[in-house]
Amino acid sequence: MKRNPVTQIVGVLLILIFASLLFTFQVRTTEVVVVTTFGKATRPETEPGLKWRWPWPIQQLHRFDKRVHNFESPFEQALTSDGFTLLLSVYAGWSISDPVIYLERFGDSSRKAEESLEGLVRNANTIVGKHPFSSFVSTVPTEIKFTDIEREMLARVQDEVSTNNYGIKVSFLGIKQLGLPESVTKLVFERMQSERQVKVAEIESDGRNKAAQIKSGADLESSKILSQADARALAIKGEAEKAAADSLKVFKQEPELAIFLLKLGALETFLKERSTLILDQSTPPVDLLRNQVLPEAKK
Amino acid sequence: MSELEKNSPVPVAPKPALSESAEDARTQALSDALRSSFAIVKVILIALVLVFLGSGFFVVDPQYKAIVLRFGQPTGGADGELLGPGFHWAFPAPIDEVVMIPVSQVQSVNSTIGWYATTATQEATRTEPPPRDSLNPATEGYLLTADANIIHARGTLRYRIAEPGLRYEFGFVDASNLVQNAFNNALVYAAARYTVDDALTRDVTGFREQVRARFEQLAAAQGLGITVEQIDNMQVLPPRILAPAFDAVLEAGVKSGQALNEARKYEAETTNAAWSGAAVRVNAAENAGVRLTNSIAAEALRFLDNLVDYRGNPELFRRRFQADALGRVLGNAQDKILIPDRIDGRARELRLQLNREPEKPRTVVKDEHGH
Repeated sequence: MKRNPVTQIVGVLLILIFASLLFTFQVRTTEVVVVTTFGKATRPETEPGLKWRWPWPIQQLHRFDKRVHNFESPFEQALTSDGFTLLLSVYAGWSISDPVIYLERFGDSSRKAEESLEGLVRNANTIVGKHPFSSFVSTVPTEIKFTDIEREMLARVQDEVSTNNYGIKVSFLGIKQLGLPESVTKLVFERMQSERQVKVAEIESDGRNKAAQIKSGADLESSKILSQADARALAIKGEAEKAAADSLKVFKQEPELAIFLLKLGALETFLKERSTLILDQSTPPVDLLRNQVLPEAKK
Repeated sequence: MSELEKNSPVPVAPKPALSESAEDARTQALSDALRSSFAIVKVILIALVLVFLGSGFFVVDPQYKAIVLRFGQPTGGADGELLGPGFHWAFPAPIDEVVMIPVSQVQSVNSTIGWYATTATQEATRTEPPPRDSLNPATEGYLLTADANIIHARGTLRYRIAEPGLRYEFGFVDASNLVQNAFNNALVYAAARYTVDDALTRDVTGFREQVRARFEQLAAAQGLGITVEQIDNMQVLPPRILAPAFDAVLEAGVKSGQALNEARKYEAETTNAAWSGAAVRVNAAENAGVRLTNSIAAEALRFLDNLVDYRGNPELFRRRFQADALGRVLGNAQDKILIPDRIDGRARELRLQLNREPEKPRTVVKDEHGH
């Protein structure tokens, strides 16, 4: 019987597709697959690509996400070494390191794995008790051991993960949030309130003091400037008088004449404006009028 | 009789001629129908194959890069071969899988672990719940500062996936959550190093830079495979219940600044007045000095000019100059009073009433009753 080649090709293709569905599976680059044969884990496939398998029910596939998972712990209370109560929430990046063990411990549920991890992180919170409060928050940068504490907690969690053989690894751990018990926050608010009041008083008095210093400094500077100016003026006057004294030497030739001329000059200057002169008839040149009959006198 | 009937050992009953011809026709029709069906099936198969192959075409948008996973494995080696924007083809699923990575797209995460609890409606209407005198850490976010005080802070981190982007896309279950947690950690870390006043007012920029530095350090250490663009929408506030107390500090600062400005104004005015006063005094002294020197010099010159005449007849010289001077003085005087000699030759008594300023009449203030 003559077969149609197209029919043959289609048939072969269908058989291949069906066979590939039964005998192969893909491992995505983000996945890890554990192959179980009659329920027993026989091989993990960690590398991506096309893999062989026996069809169900001989072999079964368990797929897991091998990427780094984000874990966040709830607030946990811990005591610092100096007796302060601190609330702490951390986050961590974890991934599957041994898929076979992971399957045995947690099945196909990553939630169970995170519940176990939460317990380990809670245990690691005891690290807080080895450090004082100032290792978390402090105005002295050298006192803060934030990163060291995170590192210690990570080491503790990694140790416990390894000891418990969970088939996971924790790559990093960080503090997500720090807090105080609610009752303590109330006390902190009261302290902050009083600090603000002190600060207001400090700022106001500081402002007043600085303003007073500036004003008194200005007055002092002003006095210095004026006294220096007075000294300078005095010096100028002295220099002028010295120069005048040199000129006065000529007066020694005839002191009487000099005095007479100076007196005349002074008199003219003195009586220059708005002066009232009361003269009797003995004063020259009015004395020329003596023994003359004045019109008013006649009356 | 047919050939079959002739060769058959069993005698076959003869069929009617009409029935045979009808069966041939049906067979022929069935054969034709099958041939037609096969032809249709072939066309459909070819069409399906074409559709299957055509479904492998895809477009990469400008903000994305694409990577093809063949049987789950990135093509192009360990780093993968990234396909840029444009038209591409890959084998359809399940052979190939195209993963779009938003490499050029700016992404953002918000940190609210340090912010008080608000609802979306309150955010939209810019309202907030009434402040409380304590904070429940389970519901209210806040940060502890270096001086063990409490502040509220939140911000937005904008970042891009660093090329080739495989680490961000294939390395984490939900990379944006890890980015957000690293951002949260950076805020907690920075607040633990800054006092409340530094974080709120004195060094806001430094606080933000500390957040960014810590975040970049964490992103590198955790291999998040991202590049930070910026941190914005950063808000740092004191606890809301203490807002009036913090406002009072700001007001005190403003008042103090005003007092200082007034003092500086006084300083400037006083100093300038002193400088100008000093200049006046020095100039006056110089002026007086010059006048003194010149006047003495003039007097000396006058003295020398008149010395010879004076020595010739001192009395005549004196009287002449005296008369001239009195003439000028009398000419300039505002009032001149000449008191004649008494007839009996006795001295005349003259009484003067001197008063600097005339007395002002007193102003009588009356009340509303006129008293």
